[in-house]
Amino acid sequence: MGKGEPHIDNTIRLLRFGRDMTQAELAEMVGVTRQTIVAIEQNKYSPSLEVAFRIAAVFKLPLGEVFQYRPDEA
Amino acid sequence: MSYKEWNAGILLVASLLISAWVAYDATYGGTFVAPMSHLAQTLIYAILISIGFNIVAVIVVTIVVGIARREQFKDERADERDRAVAAKSMRNAYFALSIGGAATLAVLAWGPGGNLGVYALFAALMLANATDSASRLYYYRVG
Repeated sequence: MGKGEPHIDNTIRLLRFGRDMTQAELAEMVGVTRQTIVAIEQNKYSPSLEVAFRIAAVFKLPLGEVFQYRPDEA
Repeated sequence: MSYKEWNAGILLVASLLISAWVAYDATYGGTFVAPMSHLAQTLIYAILISIGFNIVAVIVVTIVVGIARREQFKDERADERDRAVAAKSMRNAYFALSIGGAATLAVLAWGPGGNLGVYALFAALMLANATDSASRLYYYRVG
């Protein structure tokens, strides 16, 4: 929710589908609302570091495989 | 829409409706030229009616949306995104209230003052409320 477009992409949706997991289930495991998971997947919200680590822990993957930083195009 | 988005929408509608009613009353109801204490009482009643409208509207929406979705429609515990949206929205409302408060002082200092100052203060409060609600809707829907 900072200025301009968010620069963090994620593969949460693909990872969920691969594990047959719903948004509600992921939200319950991470400790946020389903709407927050929806917003993260749609790149409308960048989660805090703690929530990002929790999401990565759910999928048992390193943080960099779940979230990717997209630098500004110079 | 989530429960919090519905709540923000209802608050926004209530602010607009009450503001419109007060403007109509000022134009055609004669309160603009009434004694200041009578005007202040009228505006306090308007705020209380707004609160009552919000409570009833939330209950009605909860029931109707629950029937439409065929599941209980209730609020969820606020998470970090909800707190971030609330904080940014209240900041925007603070700016609106500050500008409205300054405008009220200007009306009292250099304008006709009197009842117009009371209306300016009421408008500042409604503007802050509407700004908070509209901001919440924007941050929830757009991000």
